[in-house]
Amino acid sequence: MISVLRKKSGEGSRTSNGARTSLLGLALSFPPLLLVLIFVGIPILIGLTFSFGFTHGPNRVISLIGQQIHVKNHWWGTFAAYSDVIHDSRFLGDLGLTIFVTALSTFLVIVMALAISIYQRLIGGKRASILVTLSIIPLFVPVVISAWAIHTFYGGDGFMRSIFSHIGINFPTLTSTPSAIVIGSVWTALPFSILMISSGMQAIPDVLIEAARDCGAPSQKIITNILIPLAKTPIIIAMSFTAIGILGSFTIPLFLGPNQPTMLGVEISNFFSSYNRPQQSLVMAFIVFVAASGIAVSYVWSNVKSARESGRI
Amino acid sequence: MHPVSGRLININPWRIPLFKKKIKLSLALVAAAALALGVAAPASQAVSQTIQVYISADTNIQDLWVKTLAPAFSAAYPDYKVNVTFDLHGTHDAQETAKITAAAVLHKNPGVDLIDGGFVTTLGAAGLLYHPNPGLLPNIANVNRAVLKAGLGGIPYRASSVLLAYNSANIATPPATLDDLLTWIKAHPGKFTYNAPSGGGSGYSFVQTVVDKYLTDADRTTLVQTAAPALESKWAQGLETLRQLNKYTYGQNGTYPANNAETLKDLATGLVDMGTVWSDQFASALKAGTMPANIKVTQIANPSLTGGASYLGIPNSSTNKVGARLLANWVLSPAAQNLIVSGTLNGFPVIPLSMLDPKATAAFTGVDIQHLRAGYLSANANDLKSAWATAVPGK
Repeated sequence: MISVLRKKSGEGSRTSNGARTSLLGLALSFPPLLLVLIFVGIPILIGLTFSFGFTHGPNRVISLIGQQIHVKNHWWGTFAAYSDVIHDSRFLGDLGLTIFVTALSTFLVIVMALAISIYQRLIGGKRASILVTLSIIPLFVPVVISAWAIHTFYGGDGFMRSIFSHIGINFPTLTSTPSAIVIGSVWTALPFSILMISSGMQAIPDVLIEAARDCGAPSQKIITNILIPLAKTPIIIAMSFTAIGILGSFTIPLFLGPNQPTMLGVEISNFFSSYNRPQQSLVMAFIVFVAASGIAVSYVWSNVKSARESGRI
Repeated sequence: MHPVSGRLININPWRIPLFKKKIKLSLALVAAAALALGVAAPASQAVSQTIQVYISADTNIQDLWVKTLAPAFSAAYPDYKVNVTFDLHGTHDAQETAKITAAAVLHKNPGVDLIDGGFVTTLGAAGLLYHPNPGLLPNIANVNRAVLKAGLGGIPYRASSVLLAYNSANIATPPATLDDLLTWIKAHPGKFTYNAPSGGGSGYSFVQTVVDKYLTDADRTTLVQTAAPALESKWAQGLETLRQLNKYTYGQNGTYPANNAETLKDLATGLVDMGTVWSDQFASALKAGTMPANIKVTQIANPSLTGGASYLGIPNSSTNKVGARLLANWVLSPAAQNLIVSGTLNGFPVIPLSMLDPKATAAFTGVDIQHLRAGYLSANANDLKSAWATAVPGK
């Protein structure tokens, strides 16, 4: 009897302990959740309703000021602003350029980060450490400074053209081209990916690599069968962060890209301030938002997967 | 025990609890009183004596206010403090307009007493500005009536114009008309540029001038005064002319500098021989030495590049209209206008030249500063920027 009671009371205290911990967890995560909900969630919702032509309430002032505002003609709103954007001759070019720059830059960043990380992991030594340290430097240079630096480096009167003209070669002016946006994006995104992927590679135990070497596996096999699969989670995280960052970039395409087509980050700003078409700029923002969410899903999936593998959930 | 330290302990008043308590209490009282005074006194002063000025412009206008006008005004009126808030290139014009509109609707303090920015006339058209009258603002009597009327409640306080800058080392006689300029551009590929209209007013002015070439005087006037979406289809011919210039302008593949500063840089480094620039920015660069002396400016005709007055606005909902009026009136005085003309800005004055220092106004020979061709109303200008981006670059 006593033992049963004891057992029950023990169980009881364990449950209340568990409940207390989960309550504490909830209380700790509540303030940031509330903050995100109020300062990010609600404005997004208001923006979404405005893009569908709800021009009253919190959207009243902006619809008084903006031009080419479409007012809803059904209970659920109107697609007129979305149709405006899709039928605008600039939009497809902008979307194409945004996707092209994001895909190419992310690919280049990941390939370079992998190369440096694998070099550091397999060969190592002083030279590899110096290389990694040097590659982190762009992290400490503000984007606007590096954008101007790249602009003067590749511009019409820039360093590259001056050097090449001395040996009689007409180096192309890269500013105002998509190539310059890719160069700038790679410069700004590379350090984070290197930090992420190289730390992932460092965490792989030496035993695995040595065992593979003992069995006579060539370096190529070690890279494709051990290093990359075991560092998959950090690679996916680096990839998704890089892609989301470049997708929404503004400074780099503004300074280095062509006037038209331009990346959606710049076009959203043009539509919002220069052309005073807030509704259309919101529509574009939602298109970028949807694309970024697609990338974010892969990030969350890889996080969940790694948590499950390590037994945390 | 050391005798000295023992004596010290005995006479040290901080060691006596009651005394300590008293000191603590009085310190707390003093602190509380100081806090109360500190909060109360400046707050009551702040309402009447700080003038909140909001500037939406380029950095040269920021320098004009922060380094020249605000200190000179505070020297003339020591009781007033001018607090300048600056927004580069008017990036937040829409938000600021929204804030002032919302403040007027809700009868709240907008936090701004005097505005210098392109959106002042928009606020004026919406009836949100205090209308200046000579009784309370005596110096507006010296300002051109038509310019004052065009402000819709805005107070004109300086002017500037877009001009054609050219490298006099390579060009002996610059084009005198727009047609001459267009012929010159086609004869000298890669040697002319203007910046994207959404990035700065100097490029915008060239675009509007080319578009205006094909419009009647009546249509031009309508576009300056009222929102006229129906007239926008008449821009097609001008935009086609601009598109055809793509292969002759600098870059030669339909790319254009991002902003005013980049056009100036391209001229200064010799990448281009000709470009459109703001009169004040050009004069400042010349004075600072960032623009070589062989780059000169001229105005073209038929039609001329645009220019006009910049307006100050006092929101109706401002809580310090008295201070704002005092500042606006002072800015229109000959002393302040001399600062605008001769200081780092090199702006055009809005009061007759005869009232100003003749040394300062000597620079205006050759440029007619009394008859500036106006830019479109902002709603039409926004649409022209968008139409240009659709029809011209990269096509």
